[in-house]
Amino acid sequence: MKETEPKRKEGEEAMGKVIIGGGQGFWGDSNDAAIHMVRNSDINYMACDYLAELTMSILARQKLKNPKAGYARDFLGMMKECGKEAYEKGIRVLTNAGGMNIEGLVEALAAQASEQGLSGMKIGYVTGDEISDRIPALLKEGVTFENMDDTGDFRDIQDKVFNANVYFGHEPTLECLRQGADMVITGRSTDSALFLAPCMHELGWEADDWDNLARGIMAGHLLECGGQGAGGNYDYGWRDVSRMDELGFPIAEVSEDNFVITKAPDCGGIICEQSCKEQFLYEVHDPANYLTPDVNVDISQATLTQIGENRVRVGNIRGRRRPDMLKLSLGYHAGYKVAGMLSFAWPDAYEKAQYAADIIMKKMKRKNLAAEEVRIDYIGVNALHLGVAETDPEKLKDLNEVVLRIAIRTLTKEEAYKLVPEIAPLQLNGPPGASFFGGRAKVQEVLGLWPCLIPRDAVKLESHILEVV
Amino acid sequence: MQIYLNQIAHGRSGDKGDTSNVCVFARKPEYYGIIAREVTPERVKAHFGDMVRGEIVRYDVPSLQGFNFVMKHALGGGATHSLRLDSLGKSMGSAFLRMKIEVAEDELG
Repeated sequence: MKETEPKRKEGEEAMGKVIIGGGQGFWGDSNDAAIHMVRNSDINYMACDYLAELTMSILARQKLKNPKAGYARDFLGMMKECGKEAYEKGIRVLTNAGGMNIEGLVEALAAQASEQGLSGMKIGYVTGDEISDRIPALLKEGVTFENMDDTGDFRDIQDKVFNANVYFGHEPTLECLRQGADMVITGRSTDSALFLAPCMHELGWEADDWDNLARGIMAGHLLECGGQGAGGNYDYGWRDVSRMDELGFPIAEVSEDNFVITKAPDCGGIICEQSCKEQFLYEVHDPANYLTPDVNVDISQATLTQIGENRVRVGNIRGRRRPDMLKLSLGYHAGYKVAGMLSFAWPDAYEKAQYAADIIMKKMKRKNLAAEEVRIDYIGVNALHLGVAETDPEKLKDLNEVVLRIAIRTLTKEEAYKLVPEIAPLQLNGPPGASFFGGRAKVQEVLGLWPCLIPRDAVKLESHILEVV
Repeated sequence: MQIYLNQIAHGRSGDKGDTSNVCVFARKPEYYGIIAREVTPERVKAHFGDMVRGEIVRYDVPSLQGFNFVMKHALGGGATHSLRLDSLGKSMGSAFLRMKIEVAEDELG
């Protein structure tokens, strides 16, 4: 077993095994498990994923309003809590929290680290994944920006694009580690590459060692969603998960031939074959061709084996040559939407809610609402399971309560606003017992997502190091 | 007899744009064959009706006693485009496992 080591720097021998923790599942996740694993486990690295598909677009919008914003501020809070301890223990922290303002986060982190007396700490960071200003040139070079989901024509949205981020692999992050970074901050690095880079750095894997690269990616895949890899969102037996209020996040012990998923001592959660399975295929499409910028992963023959309490060994992962193209994710302005809600109680809660919906839609018609889409759901009846929800009138007539939800999507803000003042009045003007809650509905911008492929050489990523003074 | 799929299977749903994937695993190894037989893409398509407007592909992963179902145009436009309360399809997994399947009594052991 590996023991907690003193701070290890470049040039020392590789460990033969690297222990990596997953500290964050998304922007808005809890910091508790990350802090716990820094304090109580023997991890060498912790990687924190903050970026879901739309997060870059949301951060782009924030930056537009405030040039100092545009990164996941939560990471600063996490580092305030456990950054000093991580640094002193030699745990290197990697994150894509830089979002749309990598330098902004690095600057804030350096100032905070300086206040904590961590002078000499090296913050590595990667720039260059945002390429929206290069779109015209790329179009001229013949890049088509064809939508991977076969929808729409790029010319229709080209003027509405406000961010274009390339999903990139391990290379620039690994370069930061090689230059001795104690912490690495990126923008749209793939989640899994943040975990792969430490494996390559510590175990000496080459960039064309496809089988090992695939293992590193899958270790990352099992960790990048935080608690979801350790008993959170666990369908098989959620009642069996211990101490969910202190849910630990998963940890991978990666060595040459296989890796083991586990969690920190003294925390809640579960690591078993079923919990690992549910995360293993999560958001994977073809298991024999799971494409990442680093490697084409084949998990169609993979095995998961319980080898001890909260320890699962993952084996038989194969890799093939990486794809030639990189995935580009464009965010574009796609209109507006708003949703209003109103609650109703027994008796006849569902019938009253339907009646209220009818009133609102008649008013909308009178206002000449021009909506792209209208959606009426009944929370408590069919807002989640939609068409496969229970529809037996006998079962629905005695419901205790139902919440009406009306949502519209429009091209202009003005159209969306037409719905906003029509919800609350039904407390006094509609069927009995209606209750309005949560304040007036907010009109939101619809952020469209345009996934496409671009050649690797269309993007120039750069690695930097900033030393804390 | 008819049972809900979730009696013999567990799973999780995820999203990429307007595409939803649901991975489904046999609760016991002996249930794998039942799922393989009963839960065809055609049956899944019929179960979801107009909730899923695109193609459904099933990938079999016998080493995990599991399947991955990839369903296109399944989230009402996906992410912020979708007007659904659950625009990311977090509950697509349980909606999937709500499917009714036909089993012989002795198959369940």
